[in-house]
Amino acid sequence: MKRLPIILAVTTALLAGVWFGARALRPYSFHGTIIQSPEPAPDFTLQSASGPVSPSDFRGKVTVLFFGYTFCPDVCPTTLADLAGAMRILGDEADEVQVVFVSVDPDRDTPERLAEYVGSFDPRFVGVTGNEDEVAAVAAVYGIFYEKHEGTPASGYLIDHTASAMVIDREGRLKLVLPFGIGPQDIAADLHELLK
Amino acid sequence: MRRIVVLVLLIGVVAAACGGSAGGIEVTDVWGRPSPSAATNAAFYMNITNGGDAPDQLVGASSPACSVTELHEMYMKDGGVMGMRPVQGGAVEIAPGATVEFKPGGLHVMCIGITEELKPGTTVPLTLTFEQAGDLQLEVEIRAN
Ligand SMILES: [Cu+2]
Repeated sequence: MKRLPIILAVTTALLAGVWFGARALRPYSFHGTIIQSPEPAPDFTLQSASGPVSPSDFRGKVTVLFFGYTFCPDVCPTTLADLAGAMRILGDEADEVQVVFVSVDPDRDTPERLAEYVGSFDPRFVGVTGNEDEVAAVAAVYGIFYEKHEGTPASGYLIDHTASAMVIDREGRLKLVLPFGIGPQDIAADLHELLK
Repeated sequence: MRRIVVLVLLIGVVAAACGGSAGGIEVTDVWGRPSPSAATNAAFYMNITNGGDAPDQLVGASSPACSVTELHEMYMKDGGVMGMRPVQGGAVEIAPGATVEFKPGGLHVMCIGITEELKPGTTVPLTLTFEQAGDLQLEVEIRAN
């Protein structure tokens, strides 16, 4: 009878051990959508204000590609602010991350304009564009859709575009898709996992 | 009596700092992001509650910080494609008892042609016009990213 408390204590300790062990072994669950059999990310070259930029320049880092345009007041600043927030959360690790903003509005977004724009969110961000055909080719290989449509006389044309960001791992494989609006904490956690 | 007057004045001042109310319509949490350099447009967000028992409609907005102001909504298409357009009929219905949220990815007051840099920690005036409640003067809080 006296042994009962001991047995209970031992059982509880064992169960707790199993539970914590299982938790530690469980694989990390990404907030974004992981690509199960990642392929090499298609390479391209577009222009930034400080010269040509290709994803392959950042091999060894984790690269985040986000397509948008500087006239966009909602999705693009929200995502760039979330990515900048994730960079702050990552601290020193953020030096291993390269965010590239690809403009789908080559008529209005010059490389200089893009540099100013993305630099306001994080000075390490890079903004790139090219001529209409070049941008269309890059978007196509990354499965990014964009389409101009008429706005009002005040807004001018607007552009519908894929709002998710594409993440390339250190080995240059297209590995993860970050949907719109998941927030800086979740983005930082996913990028941290890819940096391991 | 004097104390009540002071209290009413104080409440007025506090309300004017970020939100405001008129005719059963209450607007809270009015905010926008700092304008990135080279940006021409901005979006303002808020919560609009109709505490009255009749429907009302937000029919317009204006701000000295914007050349033109429109009421916009985002829409989502297949494959995570997003876009924006002016709200249908140019108005946003605020049903009695309902709170309509203007937030990233949803509704926003579209500020076309910003006339000044929107600096974090500052505010810019915004007037919302309701069909029933009339004009509501608000301040948009520019929140650091
Ligand atoms: Cu808009």
